[in-house]
Amino acid sequence: MGISKDRIKFNVGGRLFETTATTLANAGRDSFFGALFDDEWNLSPPSEDSIHFIDRNSDCFSVLLDLLRTGDLNVPANITERLLHREASFYGLLDHVRAAKWGPFDGNRLRLSDSVKGIAPGDGTAIRAGPDGGCCVAHGSVVHVYDWMLEEHSPINLDYQRVNDVGWIDSDNIVLSACERLGRGEGGMGLFSSSSGDLRYKFQVCHENQVKSYTAGALSFSPDYKIFSSCKGRSNEYGVGVWDQITGKQTDFFYESPGWSLGDADKLQWLNGKNCLLVATLFPRKDNCYISLLDFRDKNMVWSWSDIGSPMAIDEKRVRDAIAMEDSNSICVVNEFEDLGFIDLRMYGGSVRWSSRSKLMKSKMPDEPCYPKLALHEGQLFSSMNDSISVFCGPDWVLTSRLRRSYGGSICDFSIGGDRLFALHCEENVFDVWETPPPPII
Amino acid sequence: MSNQKKRNFQIEAFKHRVVVDPKYADKTWQILERAIHQIYNQDASGLSFEELYRNAYNMVLHKFGEKLYNGFITTMTAHLKEKSKLIEAAQGGSFLEELNKKWNEHNKALEMIRDILMYMDRTYIESTKKTHVHPMGLNLWRDNVVHFTKIHTRLLNTLLDLVQRERTGEVIDRGLMRNVIKMFMNLGESVYQEDFEKPFLDASSEFYKVESQEFIESCDCGDYLKKAEKRLTEEIDRVGHYLDAKSEEKITSVVEKEMIANHMQRLVHMENSGLVNMLLNDKYEDLGRMYNLFRRVTNGLVTVRDVMTLHLREMGKQLVTDPERSKDPVEFVQRLLDERDKYDKIISTAFGNDKTFQNALNSSFEFFINLNARSPEFISLFVDDKLRKGLKGIADVDVEIILDKVMMLFRYLQEKDVFEKYYKQHLAKRLLSGKTVSDEAERSLIVKLKTECGYQFTSKLEGMFTDMKTSEDTMRGFYGSHPELSEGPTLIVQVLTTGSWPTQPAVPCNLPAEVSVLCEKFRSYYLGTHTGRRLSWQTNMGTADIKAMFGKGQKHELNVSTFQMCVLMLFNNSDRLSYKEIEQATEIPASDLKRCLQSLACVKGKNVLKKEPISKEIGEEDSFVVNDKFASKFYKVKIGTVVAQKETEPEKQETRQRVEEDRKPQIEAAIVRIMKSRKILDHNNIIAEVTKQLQPRFLANPTEIKKRIESLIERDFLERDNTDRKLYRYLA
Repeated sequence: MGISKDRIKFNVGGRLFETTATTLANAGRDSFFGALFDDEWNLSPPSEDSIHFIDRNSDCFSVLLDLLRTGDLNVPANITERLLHREASFYGLLDHVRAAKWGPFDGNRLRLSDSVKGIAPGDGTAIRAGPDGGCCVAHGSVVHVYDWMLEEHSPINLDYQRVNDVGWIDSDNIVLSACERLGRGEGGMGLFSSSSGDLRYKFQVCHENQVKSYTAGALSFSPDYKIFSSCKGRSNEYGVGVWDQITGKQTDFFYESPGWSLGDADKLQWLNGKNCLLVATLFPRKDNCYISLLDFRDKNMVWSWSDIGSPMAIDEKRVRDAIAMEDSNSICVVNEFEDLGFIDLRMYGGSVRWSSRSKLMKSKMPDEPCYPKLALHEGQLFSSMNDSISVFCGPDWVLTSRLRRSYGGSICDFSIGGDRLFALHCEENVFDVWETPPPPII
Repeated sequence: MSNQKKRNFQIEAFKHRVVVDPKYADKTWQILERAIHQIYNQDASGLSFEELYRNAYNMVLHKFGEKLYNGFITTMTAHLKEKSKLIEAAQGGSFLEELNKKWNEHNKALEMIRDILMYMDRTYIESTKKTHVHPMGLNLWRDNVVHFTKIHTRLLNTLLDLVQRERTGEVIDRGLMRNVIKMFMNLGESVYQEDFEKPFLDASSEFYKVESQEFIESCDCGDYLKKAEKRLTEEIDRVGHYLDAKSEEKITSVVEKEMIANHMQRLVHMENSGLVNMLLNDKYEDLGRMYNLFRRVTNGLVTVRDVMTLHLREMGKQLVTDPERSKDPVEFVQRLLDERDKYDKIISTAFGNDKTFQNALNSSFEFFINLNARSPEFISLFVDDKLRKGLKGIADVDVEIILDKVMMLFRYLQEKDVFEKYYKQHLAKRLLSGKTVSDEAERSLIVKLKTECGYQFTSKLEGMFTDMKTSEDTMRGFYGSHPELSEGPTLIVQVLTTGSWPTQPAVPCNLPAEVSVLCEKFRSYYLGTHTGRRLSWQTNMGTADIKAMFGKGQKHELNVSTFQMCVLMLFNNSDRLSYKEIEQATEIPASDLKRCLQSLACVKGKNVLKKEPISKEIGEEDSFVVNDKFASKFYKVKIGTVVAQKETEPEKQETRQRVEEDRKPQIEAAIVRIMKSRKILDHNNIIAEVTKQLQPRFLANPTEIKKRIESLIERDFLERDNTDRKLYRYLA
């Protein structure tokens, strides 16, 4: 029986390894191994005895070779993540490592994978998950950026003005919205590189061909490369601005009409199916809640809801966050006791149908409450309350899981993206990373 | 300083800066640079990929990414400059080959260099947003080779020259061509477009401008189109062989513009071979080619269609206004149908059943058919001819086809009510004389007319059929109640409802006693079974079968008209009768009598009577005897009446008048209908609305409408507005 031609020998940092070309083929052409075994570099005909020398760490090589063999990542305790990532980067296998580290997102199978403690002073404003597993955290006037390895990059700021919202355009570009500084033309909205932290572009608001300084609020992005932001200008530039992601130019502006609120919005959400933007301004930013759907094609407010004039006797029924669910044609809202409510989008002027799930919460409110937040991900609804996040599923939104960790205090914001959930706690500047483990072996 | 002096010795701060060998970067780069040289010189066998990769990695890791990046660019640029000199030195045909060879080498080298610099590509370049190694290598090739002044124009000219040579029939190395063009495409769309495609299109435009001029001077239209089509397929093939697929649209539009659009008018109107000639000679292939080519250019089909329409109208006008053709209505209509079939076939085989062409065909027919006021009559006569004899031995399916075609012509008619009038007359004749060949065909046509024009149009026609059916039953009842009549002459009566049938003045005549007795019996039977009815005899429309024995004992059964029967019966009692005597005895009006006698005595083979003196015309002084020598090989002899098949001039006038008379109430009804809903309307709008409402039946004459309005005002249906005299008001 001859030796298989497939077989390949390595000497890595003095340790011998044997593997097959088929295993290495899993690395792909754009990797060290892909190039090494490309025809162009396969200069001398392979002999049985030829051993490829690689001047690298052999322990890591062993882990990565196993990764190529099985698709599973098993890191012994003596290898730090940083070392492993460094070696994976050398071989061009970082993407393989990331893909093996956590599985496709499922709200009911989440495990706490890491807790990152920041050094920022004060409470966090917002946390946003990036598309490839990284995240950014806004604290006061600075935004800290973490890649998927949870390595921190240079923090970003816009003239050190207070940050209102941040968002990822793609894995390398972050948009930041900030308050204006009176009279200096600072603040507004900027585009930053997530890896280097450089300011790449500053978005402008024009009214009657004049550039105005403005405060940028909530952000949203659409798949057809638009950026939306609620804006407050000096005089009457209140409303929602639209910019093109590619050119950076302002393409549209939806002015706020009297008696309604757009420029102060807490939340913008682009609805792709309806081709509309949800704009929600909520208590306590304003005395009342205003939720509306804007159609920019004909500058029309196609749907709206407000609690102006509704009986306020039952104080707890105040809407604290809202999210549109296109599949069920409704808007889900939440009050400060984490009661979920639903508004039908197909009717104009409908009322909230509360599902009074639990009044128990009222009794045990913590000292420093955080208002609930909502998120929707592939048919699963998430709502944060105090120090835990609830997961709801099914057409009737049944509570199926609860994520909780005692350390760090109440959750002030959370975000889902890149198959990870990030929860920002208001004390200690801690954020938790929740992942779905890779699928079981059998 | 003084402070330090006090101390005896000094411990140096433990602060060694980590210093990398200052020459580290240069040394490492030198290794890599040498490797790049070796790769370009195809001498890479001694290189270790692992070592080179690690060195490049280390340079990036130790923050020498920029040095590495710039070094790679400088080294590659130097190599490419050298290569471009070698390419430039290649002579004649080997120029392209050399370029292609060097391009392949560069690609291979670039691939290997990219492998070595893979880590830099992924980290340093990614985070500094510089151009990646592979596109950078292509850019360098573009700037140092393709755009090198001594290569740039030479390369373009070589390529264009090759294309030109292929166009003139030479065989070129398409593989090499494809590789070089592919190089342009790999360098980016803008390079391909700017450095090759645009000049290529310009040169092609020039080439086809000259060639099309040449062709148009020397070829006829058909040949020209063939050549244009060939050129077009050649260019499409060329794109398939060695150009970017996106160029197809551009190059075909150049050919289309130069070869077709610019010569469109001249081609269509070309003497003896243009469109009209093709249409006349049914050149389906040429027509199809013209359609397919002209379709590609703006206004191409419009041009073809306009010329076809013009020709059709001219041809049709000649056809329908030619007095010679009007002599035979059947032939006239057949010609129309033939023309329609011809153009139908052209449109379906050559013009891809193009809807706009079908519309043009229809509108042209509509235009010229109505140029001849007798078209409705002729079409009805054509149907009459077909239903009388023409449909014998034709399968049902074919009957349907003929009827459908007739309906097609019918649709073109503006004066559908005139057609109805004639059709009624002709149908009446067919029904009463029992000449109709196929009841089914008759009914089928009526159904078609009904779907086309509605219930009203055909209600009277259907009434005629009902009368025929009822009459049969009545006759059965009559003979059932009079069993004694089974002996002797048989009378068959068809009871026609007044109004359903074309009115004919009842021409009285004296019936022979045998018949008149029978008629009376029937009258009393019929009036006995139906109350409140009146019967009058239309003797001018009847027929009779009589048995006759001639001098030499020949027995025949003669099929004659009622008038003829009356005349013949007289000869039972006398051998010779003068015209006057006959007229007196029968009281048949002179014109009818003359016609009847003419058919009995003057038609060869059917002359049961003999006239003295012998001549073609009947005179008042003539006398008649039974023709004893009458002979016929048939037992049954049909004696026709000399009837004018086409209407005579006064008859035509009469029909016309009747049509006009019938239109009056219809126009009035339309006016009242419109005014009832609108209450107030001005004159012009009334005219327009009435015309529109009546269009499916006939084209209303504005003066006639005006007259009807006046008449309605007189009868207090409408009034004029007191202030604005142009306004009419409806009076409820």
